[in-house]
Amino acid sequence: MSDALVTVVDLHKSFGGIEVLKGIDIAFRAGEIHAFLGANGAGKSTFLGCLSGAVRPTQGNIKVAGGDYESLSPRTALNMGIGIIYQHYQIFEDLTVADNIFLGRECLRMGMVDTARHVRESAVLLERLGVRIDPRMQVRQLGTGERKIVEIARALNTGPRLLILDEPTAALGEHEIAAVHDVVRHVAKTEGLGVVYVTHLLDEVDEIADRVTILRNGRIVWSRPKPEVSTADMAEAIAPSSARIAHVRSRDDLPGDPLVELRDYRSPYTGPVNLVLRPGEAVGIYGLLGSGRTDLLESLFGARPRQSGELLLRGKPVDIRTPAEALARGISLVASDRGDQSVFQSLDAVENLLMPHHGTRLLPGFLRSRRKEDALFDRVARDLSVHPADPRLNIENFSGGNAQKIVLGRWLLDSDDTAKIILLDEPTQGVDIGARAQLYEALRVAMDRGACVIFGSSDPAEIVELADRALVLAYGAPVALIDKPFTEGTLVELAHKMAGGGRSSATQHVSTASSPL
Amino acid sequence: MTDNASTNAAPRKPVDWVEQATAAALPLAICLLALFFYVNVPVFFSFKNAINISIQVAALMTICIPASMLLMAGKVDLSVGSMLALCGIVAGLSFESLGVPTTVALTLAVGAAAGVVNGTLVSVLGFSPIIVTLGSLTLMRGLAQWLAPNPVFGFPESFVILGYGRWLGVPFLTWIMVAVIVLGVFVMRYLPVGRKIVAIGINERAAFLVGVRVRLIGVALYVATGLATATAALMTIARINSAPSGTLGVGAELTVLTAILLGGVPFTGGKGSVLRVALALWLLGMLQNGLILMNVPTEFSLMITGCVLLFAAGLDVLRRERG
Repeated sequence: MSDALVTVVDLHKSFGGIEVLKGIDIAFRAGEIHAFLGANGAGKSTFLGCLSGAVRPTQGNIKVAGGDYESLSPRTALNMGIGIIYQHYQIFEDLTVADNIFLGRECLRMGMVDTARHVRESAVLLERLGVRIDPRMQVRQLGTGERKIVEIARALNTGPRLLILDEPTAALGEHEIAAVHDVVRHVAKTEGLGVVYVTHLLDEVDEIADRVTILRNGRIVWSRPKPEVSTADMAEAIAPSSARIAHVRSRDDLPGDPLVELRDYRSPYTGPVNLVLRPGEAVGIYGLLGSGRTDLLESLFGARPRQSGELLLRGKPVDIRTPAEALARGISLVASDRGDQSVFQSLDAVENLLMPHHGTRLLPGFLRSRRKEDALFDRVARDLSVHPADPRLNIENFSGGNAQKIVLGRWLLDSDDTAKIILLDEPTQGVDIGARAQLYEALRVAMDRGACVIFGSSDPAEIVELADRALVLAYGAPVALIDKPFTEGTLVELAHKMAGGGRSSATQHVSTASSPL
Repeated sequence: MTDNASTNAAPRKPVDWVEQATAAALPLAICLLALFFYVNVPVFFSFKNAINISIQVAALMTICIPASMLLMAGKVDLSVGSMLALCGIVAGLSFESLGVPTTVALTLAVGAAAGVVNGTLVSVLGFSPIIVTLGSLTLMRGLAQWLAPNPVFGFPESFVILGYGRWLGVPFLTWIMVAVIVLGVFVMRYLPVGRKIVAIGINERAAFLVGVRVRLIGVALYVATGLATATAALMTIARINSAPSGTLGVGAELTVLTAILLGGVPFTGGKGSVLRVALALWLLGMLQNGLILMNVPTEFSLMITGCVLLFAAGLDVLRRERG
């Protein structure tokens, strides 16, 4: 292909004495979709930060547009034609699509913002991308996939030559992912931009990448053209199989009486759900975005009201109105979106781990014992392989996977309690394969001790991996409750049947929706 | 990673000099300022004058401590000035008919009730703390002036002694102030609720989801601020032996907020130290006292105080933008 747009030479970056990037050499070319993979903590975010100017490298060079830089500022990066779209939406819901696209680059007419021109040019831009979005619409009215496309349009409007996408499809359903892929392909193939595509989903790499680069522990493992590599190669490079834990688990005879029972349970937007769980059992709730997974889980946890129906614990109906009441009864929740809902930024790891436990049986009394707190942290760090195992390190310095281990660790500390109910919502979103396996293993250990797990996921592979039974939801209604063995295909098919034709005719036999698997 | 990976396995962060410098700035400023006043007015540096300063700041300090904890939880109470007036007026009007003990109880109840109203509107119903407490600021000032259009004075001797009495040579007012500071430090440093207050300030949603009783703690903090303001009202009217509804506590909310921000609690909450807030208010009190001793006119004294706050804002930016 043509010459490199951006060449990175021997790039290093350290944070407070910890080397995160240990010498990166790589080139990004025009018209190429370059998939960038790596476990959480591999250094991807830092590397992207160096390219976009948000992070200042400690050593090395970035060659771009004929210049040779030791570091870029966000402004230089933009001027040199490097555009970045972050994983989390940087979009203003209350503004229109056009206003978002021209935000910070407003066109003026007689000193006033020329909204008409924004709308006109946005319409042209969006049409060029082959999407049908009215630029006058408020972003609030758009779906998640469309929002991502608006972000891409906004980035394109700055005239970049290299477009960096950080996990653009992390929170999207199948249809939305396909739409984003179409746009990305168009950007690379028709418009000839270089694309750096960061993702955790290996299927997605198969789908769109021209070249694959794997990052591990701050170094590039390899960088090859896509046709030469298989999914297995990639998985192996991201997390060598020695680091993964094989799982064998038989649960033919689940002992004991039901621990949890839902009878016609309705949360505000979801239900009615009927479900019985015995100790050691895991139910996976599968559904696309907006199917009611979060609604149901948060309602069971008392963070949202129960509309009707009954929740029984050990055969007795209970009324749970707040998370505090849920926790007192042994029900815990690992919420979706770690940054917004689980983690206390600016506090250290041990504070984050023990926040729910101050003044409880685990940490009684009021005099704080640093030694006791650290001992608890060390136990979690060992059981879940938290890295770095430093209780005093600020939570912001942990990778997504390790932060998630600490968040889950909160509810595994009380290991004597044999009758816990652990609710999880998208437990491994933004978590790499290695950490994922460790999280699953920790949950299995808890289940072997008698805990129940109810988790929601938009990743069918996760349901197959962890669940004994799957509850499929679509538009807030239960579609099916199926026992193992089931396949990813079954789940996707069930959810899509309802998603595709379900709103008008709620039959199980509609075959218009096609399964991508 | 080895099995004994623990605290000392990971490399430590190097010393953060900006953090160190900003942390030392407040005590250092107090020392330098004290030295400056001492050089100019030697009488500044005496036990007697220190007691004078403490009497000046005691009432506001009593409010400052719970109010700073409230701000650490991400909430603010701008109504304390008028609340102080209302409590003072209620007390002043009640002594004659109710007697001292009942009046004190009633005054504290009024402060607590104001806290319950503020707290319920903000923490339970989710209204904006600034709007709610600005509203109650105006409301309570009106209420105070309606109850007593003219200054109330002439309190029982058994109450006024609170204003001038001493124990071990130290005024009661100073003892109360010290007790409140100690209580505040104790709660924030040792009680579980101290951690929870900070947690709410950092991420209220996450705190709710780990079982922190977010609403209850929010209301409790407003009530604590209300109780402290009622106490401050009693301290103030005992000291000046009158309760003028038009001027009592005017601007107190701004001095309190100034001290809290100067003490390093960010306006968005999530961190801070009660002791540093106490130091900051002490600095403000000392500044005022020293400037009066030096015969600096009030208008200059105001300008200097303003500059101190701007300087503190600069330090805060420096601290946040490092790295």
